[in-house]
Amino acid sequence: MTADALDPLIHVPARLQIVATLATLPDGDALSFTRLQDMIGLTPGNLITHLRKLEDADYLTSEKTGNGPASRTSVALTRQGRAALDTYAATLRQMLNGL
Amino acid sequence: MNGAADMGGAGTYGNTEADEAGALDPESASRLLTQTQRQAQRSLDFRSPWLTLIAAAVALIAFGAVWLSVREQHPFKGPTAAALVVLYALVAIRIGTVVYAHRRASAGVSGSSVRQQRAEGVALVAALVAVYLPIVSLAQDGAGHASFYWVYAVTATLIVLGAFWAGRSAVREDWMGLGVSVAVMLVGAVSALAGPRGMWLSDGIGLCVVLLGYTAVEAGLVHAPRSGT
Repeated sequence: MTADALDPLIHVPARLQIVATLATLPDGDALSFTRLQDMIGLTPGNLITHLRKLEDADYLTSEKTGNGPASRTSVALTRQGRAALDTYAATLRQMLNGL
Repeated sequence: MNGAADMGGAGTYGNTEADEAGALDPESASRLLTQTQRQAQRSLDFRSPWLTLIAAAVALIAFGAVWLSVREQHPFKGPTAAALVVLYALVAIRIGTVVYAHRRASAGVSGSSVRQQRAEGVALVAALVAVYLPIVSLAQDGAGHASFYWVYAVTATLIVLGAFWAGRSAVREDWMGLGVSVAVMLVGAVSALAGPRGMWLSDGIGLCVVLLGYTAVEAGLVHAPRSGT
């Protein structure tokens, strides 16, 4: 088995960190953009770009509440995103066991 | 996706392509995944060995101070005002550290678990109020021994707190939390048998031992090597 078997959308350091962090939340919970940025340590622009890619693949959803400076964006992993991470982790395990 | 308002308009766009290019080998990916999940769990969980250690110290010092004030006096006499000041001050510090740690851990988190925790908080306060109300009723009926009220109040508080946390731990399948909660309930119930003076020492030492044991296991789990993914 080669690295090609791994989901290319998750198999990028920043996106792996995003998905792994959001997966530690209980199902139905969301994390604010600022807290996620604080936990992962990416620049805001970089984080937005990675989040967009994951959202386009339906791995996560985002919700914006409020207006102006008080607005807040929250992101949450979808069921599909959680399943994708599970598959990714299982594939990794298989690859490492095969080494 | 629009996080611009969260960022205060500071849209510093990084080089995402550079990140994409930084290919991960399976071992690095496994390490990163494990490390990220562990860091996130630690960051989002308000419990920590330090917080439990503070609770153990509070239990020993607060209950110990009261025991020192009552050990030589008549069993039916309550603790001195100075001992109660120490007790309440330390309990306030304990509550303050828990509230601070909880707020810090849950900052930015929203959703069903937050609503669930609020409901649990309401249930806990209601249970505590419910067990304290009979004290008022008994006092009005003329039950006069201060020691009775203290034995009842301390024992009931420990049993309610233990039962609440035991239920919470069972739902979350946190078996270590369940074990500690049951131990707290047992300490409360057994200490009541030691009488109005001995109860304070028994509670202080019992809770301290239980919490120190929990801290040791917690710290061991945090530092234990874990296999990747």
